Amino acid sequence: MTVPDAAAERLVHDSLAAIRTVAGFQLRRLLTPPRLALAAVVGVFPAAVMLAVERASRGRLDGDLAVAMLYALIPEAVCMLGLLVTMCPVVADELERGTWVHVAVRPGGRRALLLGSYVAAVVWTAAVALAATVLALAVADVPRPASVARILAALVLVSCVGRGALFALPAVIMPKRALVASVGVALVVEYLAGVIPAVVNQATVSLRLRSLLVAWMGWERTLPTEVQLLVDSQPPWVQLVAVGGLVAVLLTAAVLILDRRQFPPSDEI
Amino acid sequence: MIEIRQLTKLYGAVIGVNDVSVDLAAGAHGLLGPNGAGKTTFLGLVTGQLRPTMGSVLVFGERPFGNRRVLRRIGYCPAADLGDRSVTPREWVTYLARLSGFGPGVAAARADDALARVGLFDAARRPCGSLSKGMRQRAKLAGAIAHDPDLLVLDEPFVGLDPVARHELVELVRAWSRSKSLVVASHLLHEVEALDAGLAVILGGRLVASGTADEIRRLVDSLPAEVRVRCGAPRRFAELACGVAGVEAVRIEGDVVIVATRLPGAVIEEAVPRAVDERLGVSEVIPADRSLEGIFGQLVHLQRGVRA
Repeated sequence: MTVPDAAAERLVHDSLAAIRTVAGFQLRRLLTPPRLALAAVVGVFPAAVMLAVERASRGRLDGDLAVAMLYALIPEAVCMLGLLVTMCPVVADELERGTWVHVAVRPGGRRALLLGSYVAAVVWTAAVALAATVLALAVADVPRPASVARILAALVLVSCVGRGALFALPAVIMPKRALVASVGVALVVEYLAGVIPAVVNQATVSLRLRSLLVAWMGWERTLPTEVQLLVDSQPPWVQLVAVGGLVAVLLTAAVLILDRRQFPPSDEI
Repeated sequence: MIEIRQLTKLYGAVIGVNDVSVDLAAGAHGLLGPNGAGKTTFLGLVTGQLRPTMGSVLVFGERPFGNRRVLRRIGYCPAADLGDRSVTPREWVTYLARLSGFGPGVAAARADDALARVGLFDAARRPCGSLSKGMRQRAKLAGAIAHDPDLLVLDEPFVGLDPVARHELVELVRAWSRSKSLVVASHLLHEVEALDAGLAVILGGRLVASGTADEIRRLVDSLPAEVRVRCGAPRRFAELACGVAGVEAVRIEGDVVIVATRLPGAVIEEAVPRAVDERLGVSEVIPADRSLEGIFGQLVHLQRGVRA
């Protein structure tokens, strides 16, 4: 191994260790009573909705419709809410706590902060969403519940990984208004551009999630023609690669922006 | 160690640091200036948090912004209080040591060592929220030294400390500066003097003086100072003042005589008693402003070539 190779390997090792460190530290911060209470409320919410719908329909709720509702409630709503709470304030929280500067003066500290916080946000949100899935499936009457559970769990992971990267950009571009900006991004990009049957929706996570749901549930042939316009007919691996590419681009952009960000002393409260 | 050339930092239209050129060799240095003078911006540039708008800053021969090699050798203790109150000092310092590249075991050992050095080992497992300001200050300092940097940069490290804690921290920092380099920013002259550090005085983003504490004092003492005397017969008092040694200029503003002198004590000890004897109605004597603000003001005058 040459000296440059060893240096590069050391850099990668140090960077991954720093990301793990930040992720662990941020996860401990997320285990506070207020955050746990929020997790409990968000986790129970889909089950409560499904219970109310099951009772209102007196057990006659169509199984596929129930799965579609679970998809809307968990990989969409719960994941979105969880990531808004955990990913949006990654930089703003550090500035408010006065801890940003401590991390920013460490070698590679900025990148580690962003990527470690991203990992923590994904883990925390996915854990809440998976718990919500289990609770909701316990009260919902769906066909092949074990299979649906696996599909929803996979969609939760894809949603968290994709949307977490999406929210990283507002978090570093406008940290103090990241929440508002992220809600805007969610509405405009995910729920407006994402349902436009054109090239623009190819760059959204929501298209990939819907397409994966349709493919994994085997709904391709039963979907009405107009709804088929809202999904991509490519196989699931294409959807996963697309999400992976999107995540790589978004996180790289966020890292490069944060590397260059300068916060005047007055920004640290 | 630190080479700064025509360094300027602008925040939009606001000037943070204005055309500063200075070389700081290895050793201890105090950065002195009132609040808002640009000290924190200066330190932000040195510690690689900020990029210069113009000019250059080199630390250990390299630009510090985003430079892993330089950042690895710097320890920074910012002025802002540690806002993360749920974490313990041990967790916090271990976290920072791990971000500096140490593995979990080594980082924990270094954190324990640093906390012991700052005298916080016994309280290291209590949440920061339950610690006094002085203890949190020590926790921040431990975080800055745990990776054993070559240069320790402290921003207002003594603010909010009681006299005992302040003395202990001064001793701690002084001990550090015997073996490693140190830059301390403060708005209090005596704090920096206590560290036996060279001084750089910054005001309005400009470096207005640098040297040892004695050199700065001699420089200040060599400047004319203003003594203001309010009396019923200002013209007569002006005549008396002109006869006192060291007086360089006298002007009258209403019933106030403003005497610019290199020996302000002589004006007060000679001219004022004579004015009282002559019943000139002396109602107020304002001695030369030797407070830090006054000194800064005079240094600015000196730097701009303005005579008081």
